Amino acid sequence: MTEVAWPLPKPDAVTQPFWDACRERKLCFQQCDSCGHRWLPPSVVCPRCWTAFFTWVPAAGTGAVFSFAVYHRAYHPAFKRLVPYVVAVIELSEGPRLVSNIIEAAPHELRVGMAVRLEFRDTDGLPLPVFRPAEPEQQP
Amino acid sequence: MRSAGTRACIAGIGQTPLAACLGRSAWALQAEAVRAAVADAGLAPAEVDGLITEPGYSQGVIEGVTPHFLRLGAMLGLDPSYTGSEVIGGASAAAMVQRAAMAISAGLCEVCVCVFGDTPSQAPGVWEYSRGDGAAFGFFGAPGMHALAARRHMALYGTKPEQLGEIALTFRRHASLTPHAQQRTPITLDDYLASRFVVEPLRLLDCCLISDAAGAVVVTSAARARDLKRRPVAIAGFGQAHCLTGLASSDYLTELPARRAGKIAFEMAGLTPGDVDVAELYDCFTIVVIMQLEDYGFCAKGEGGGFVENGSLGLSGRLPTNTAGGLLSEGFGGGMFHIIEAVRQLRGECGDRQVLNAEVALVSGHGLGMNTHSTLILTRN
Repeated sequence: MTEVAWPLPKPDAVTQPFWDACRERKLCFQQCDSCGHRWLPPSVVCPRCWTAFFTWVPAAGTGAVFSFAVYHRAYHPAFKRLVPYVVAVIELSEGPRLVSNIIEAAPHELRVGMAVRLEFRDTDGLPLPVFRPAEPEQQP
Repeated sequence: MRSAGTRACIAGIGQTPLAACLGRSAWALQAEAVRAAVADAGLAPAEVDGLITEPGYSQGVIEGVTPHFLRLGAMLGLDPSYTGSEVIGGASAAAMVQRAAMAISAGLCEVCVCVFGDTPSQAPGVWEYSRGDGAAFGFFGAPGMHALAARRHMALYGTKPEQLGEIALTFRRHASLTPHAQQRTPITLDDYLASRFVVEPLRLLDCCLISDAAGAVVVTSAARARDLKRRPVAIAGFGQAHCLTGLASSDYLTELPARRAGKIAFEMAGLTPGDVDVAELYDCFTIVVIMQLEDYGFCAKGEGGGFVENGSLGLSGRLPTNTAGGLLSEGFGGGMFHIIEAVRQLRGECGDRQVLNAEVALVSGHGLGMNTHSTLILTRN
């Protein structure tokens, strides 16, 4: 049986630095050089003050579950063997939010607000930033 | 000064059947809905001088870059003085009526047809889209986006699956009284709880239907409507609000732009939520009904789950809602069928499902996940 190709990201000029950082196993957000605002998803200007000067900053890798959903159906063949899988919105400790997955956890054990930590999962050659529940000593 | 909204009205409505597959092109369905709406108003095709369209979701993919209004207008033989397409997802239908009202108030046209039509049966998988790089994480389809909202609402406010189920079975009961509805077989709370999870916490019966259908309305000035066949329904107020920042918004998954859109619309109409006799709320998923009840001010934030209990949304409840069954049971009419049903209620044409003394209706549109919102307040003249 041939493996189904994973629907990998299609970086464009705006998102390329984010995915380049992932290749180095870093999850980066943008930080405004002028007002200090931090954000994701990637933008060409600071969404708060519109300055075009910003820095890509690596996240510490800690965060909390903002919400999560358990997919009981695969809308793409690559996800068939993973069902049920968890898509979550993660709020990083630094503030920005992103859509990701929570792995290595039973869906019924997940809670909104629970602490998670970043790890990279190699997916068809690209390390994807995903999360797993934080160890007890990492819980806030 | 009288506001823009108060000078326009809806003078005609038209629709096709709704079904999982009608076996006809979206163009044919749209033309049928337009013809029916113009005939309902007692107008002739040559009297139409405005056309606003919403391309179907499946059609948008098929037709690529050809402007939808251009091809539909050519097929209808129209050279209008005002035209365009609205592409803000489920908020488009009510937004089209607003554009028509504004164009009429500004004197750009006098008789403006607004039409939605779609044939998802001809574009399998059209609803299974992903946005941005979400596909890499398996984030596909509208159910996933709304499951996130439902989960957060449950976590913050204790909203229960049974409360979502109450919405599904209430709207199904309304659809059982609606001859043209796609799903008319009543369901029980047990049926709801037994229906399979699609994207948990949303079950199959939390999700709207997928339909081939088209609907249209004729918007005109109050002066022009006086001589027409039907008693016109006044567009007393309208508003829009959008949350383009989505994920990054402080309100994400908690508050819909409905709150801001509703405030504008109620102020324009000089009315309050307490004046609303019937609500036609965009219901792609049950959870957005609860969120809108809160955001429009029918109850406080977090109390939407409790509000829907004890038959509140039923035909003789506190706030009769989605009286033809909505997207969940009447069928997917893109929000246009919500407007059509509101007009029918205000005209008193709804037979077994008629809400007694319906004088004020609120209609909403919610689109592109959680990003766009539009509101209409319609009144019996």
